Amino acid sequence: MEVVLHLPVVPNVELVAAKAVETLGEALGMHRNGIEAASVATVEACLNAMEHGGGSVVVRLVREDETMPRLRVEVEDKGPGFDPDARPLNDSTRVDGCPSKRGWGLTLIRELMDDVQIISGPGRTVVRMWKDLGRER
Amino acid sequence: MSDPQIDLSARVFSEGFGLITASGYINNEGGQAVADAATDLVGRGCKSLLVDLEGTRIINSIGVSILLEIMEKLMEGGGELAFCSLTPTIAKTFEIMGLDQYAQVFSDRETALSRLIGTVDG
Repeated sequence: MEVVLHLPVVPNVELVAAKAVETLGEALGMHRNGIEAASVATVEACLNAMEHGGGSVVVRLVREDETMPRLRVEVEDKGPGFDPDARPLNDSTRVDGCPSKRGWGLTLIRELMDDVQIISGPGRTVVRMWKDLGRER
Repeated sequence: MSDPQIDLSARVFSEGFGLITASGYINNEGGQAVADAATDLVGRGCKSLLVDLEGTRIINSIGVSILLEIMEKLMEGGGELAFCSLTPTIAKTFEIMGLDQYAQVFSDRETALSRLIGTVDG
């Protein structure tokens, strides 16, 4: 089972991807909390791709059964790329008195999903993330 | 999943205490709508606010950033911000971004009102 979306950069288009995650997640029997976590992570990945990718975004949703039943979400853009290792997890203590409150997308993705892989180079970035179908969170 | 338009209402619930209900997508526009409602209530004498997110299923980090800014402004004025009726994912997002360190979070509106002002009747 696979869903592929080609999203133009228009306001709130990330909700189309979130709706696809919800629909496929329900069809695959995912727990509601898992669906909502995957939806928020997908929204964040789409927003990053649209902000930094500079063009349309491709979203792929795939059911995997290699080790355990999982939903794989891929968000791909054709931007200049970045070094994911240079983007450590944000810490919630950063909030206190910090003038800039942006830049939480990758941290949320890593915390809300069960596994995340980022492949990035000039002209192509893919954020690949997995949510186990059986987990409640 | 969530309507991009946010359905929002705001009122002075009791002296110095305001209640905002927001249902929809908390993105930059939804977050700003909550911020505008909060600013209006503060201007009407509310030092403390409860934001009820019943019906909100999805948020993004930009929307939460705006909620953080509301919280900081209230705290600067000696007030406080509280939330209720969060989905587990939204509660976890608040925890990851540190919002729950400074804002109280309650399971539902009734619990929040009884703890914050001792009554559920506005």
